[in-house]
Amino acid sequence: MAVTGAALAHARWRGIGSQRLAAHLFTAAFLALWEAASLFTPSYLIPGPVLVATRLAIFVTSWRDLGHLGASLFHVASAIAISFAMGSLLAFAAYYAPLLRFAIERRIGPVLNSFSAIGWTLLSIMWFGVTPVTVIFAISAVLVPFALVNMSAGLGNIDREIIEMAQSFTRRRVPMLALVILPSLYPFIFATLRIMFGVSWKVTLTAELFGGNAGLGYMINLARQEFDTTTIFAAIIIIIAFVHGMDHYVLGPMQAKVSRHYAS
Amino acid sequence: MSFAPVRAERLIGEGVVAIALVAWWASARRLPEFILPGPLPVLRRLIELWLNPEFLWNAFASTWRVLVSIALALLIGGALAILAHGVPSMTAVVDARIKPVLNSFPSIGWAILAAIWFEPGDFGVIFVEVAILIPFCLINLAEGLRNLDRELIEMGRSFTRAQVRIFWRLTLPLLVPYGLSATRIAYGVAWKIALVAELLGAPTGVGYLMLRAQTAADSTTFLAICFAIVLIFMAGERLVVVPLERRFAHR
Repeated sequence: MAVTGAALAHARWRGIGSQRLAAHLFTAAFLALWEAASLFTPSYLIPGPVLVATRLAIFVTSWRDLGHLGASLFHVASAIAISFAMGSLLAFAAYYAPLLRFAIERRIGPVLNSFSAIGWTLLSIMWFGVTPVTVIFAISAVLVPFALVNMSAGLGNIDREIIEMAQSFTRRRVPMLALVILPSLYPFIFATLRIMFGVSWKVTLTAELFGGNAGLGYMINLARQEFDTTTIFAAIIIIIAFVHGMDHYVLGPMQAKVSRHYAS
Repeated sequence: MSFAPVRAERLIGEGVVAIALVAWWASARRLPEFILPGPLPVLRRLIELWLNPEFLWNAFASTWRVLVSIALALLIGGALAILAHGVPSMTAVVDARIKPVLNSFPSIGWAILAAIWFEPGDFGVIFVEVAILIPFCLINLAEGLRNLDRELIEMGRSFTRAQVRIFWRLTLPLLVPYGLSATRIAYGVAWKIALVAELLGAPTGVGYLMLRAQTAADSTTFLAICFAIVLIFMAGERLVVVPLERRFAHR
C-alpha cells in the first residue's frame, strides 16, 4: 500500500517534472529561435532578445516610461469603474423594472455590443480631440456591454428561494439589496471585473495609439514612427507580463476565494 | 395575462430607440456637421453605401478576411488544445506558455508588428486577426476537451482501439458545441476588435474606409460605415451563426 502510494507520488512528480521541463525547454527553444531570426534580419524588423532585454531594463528604471505605464493604468482603471457602474445600472434597471427589460436587453445591449471598438475610438477623437477623455470614453463604451451581460446573468442566477425567504423577514428594499442580492452577486462581480480587465487592455492600447497623448499605446505609436521596434517589443512584453501577472496572481486567486466563500 | 406586459415592454423598447434618435437629431442641429451629423444624412449615406460598388467590394474584402481568420483560428486553437490534451508533457507548454502570452498580447501590438513585417494586404490582416482570435478558440475548445464525457470515450474504446476512429466518431462530435461557442465569440471579436488590423496594414476593407473617412473629417460617412458594420455583424449572426447553433447544438 505504502509502496504503491510512493510509486504513485513519484510517477505524479515525474509527470509534473517532465511538464515543467518541457515548458522550460519550449521557452529556451523559443528564445534561441528568436535570437537566430534576429541574426538574419535587420533590428528594425526583429530586434534580438538581448537588445529587447536591455530596453526592458531601461524601461523599468525610466520615470518617463513608467509614467506611460501609469497613464495606461489610469485609463484602464477609470474606464472599468465608469463602465462597470453604467453596465450594472442598466442590469439593475432591467431587473427591478421588468418593463424596461426589452429596451435594455434587446435594444440598448445589442447596439452597444455590435458597435466596433475602432468606431468608438475614432468617433471620440472627433468629439473630444486627443485627450485622456477620448481614451477613457472609448474604452468605457466598449466595456459597458460586457458589464451589462455579465451582471444580468448574475441577477438572473440569484436563487429565487433565498429571496422569498428574505422577503418573509423584511419587505424593505435596501436591506434586501445589501444583505441578500449584493452578496449573491459577488462571484459575478469578480468574474465581470476579470473579463473587463482582460478586454480593456486589448482596447486601451488602440485608443491610446489613435487618440491618446500618454500611455503605452502612445509610446508604441512614437516608437513606430521612429522604426524603434525594440521599444515596441519591450512595451508588448511589459503589457503581457503585467496583464498575465494581474490576472494569474491577483484577480484569479481573489475570484476563487470569493466564489468559494459565496457559492452555495 | 402575459400578453399585455410584453406589448408594453416592446412599446417602451421602441420608445427608447425613438427618444435616442430624437435626442441625436436635436443635438446634431446645434453642432457642426463634422462633429455630429444628424440621423437623416447618416441614414441617407448608409443607403448610398449599400448601392456603392466600392463599399460593397471593401465590405466583401473584410467579410472574407474575417471568415478565413475564424476558420484558421479554430484550426490552430483546436490543434493546440488537442496537443495539450493528448500529449501530457505538452500540457504545460500550451497552458503555461502559449496560452497566457497569446491571451495577454495586445491586439494593436500584432497590428503594428504585421505593419512592420509584411506588405500591406490580405496576408498581414489575416495574420493579425488569426493571432487575436486564437486564444478565444483555444480557451473554448480546451474547456470542451476537459468536459468530454469519459464514459462515452470508454464505451468507444470497448468497440475499437483505433484512436483515429474514436477521435472522428466521438471526440470531434462532442466538441461541436464548444466549437460553435468559440465561433460565436470569435465572430464578435473579429468585427469589433480585430478590425484594427485594417487600419494599419490594408489598402482595402471597411477598417481602411473608416480611417479614410475619419482623416477627411467626413463624420457622416464615418458614422454610416459604423452602422453598416453593425448591420453586417448582425446579418452574419442571424444568417450563419444562429442557424449553425440550431443545427448542431443539441446533437
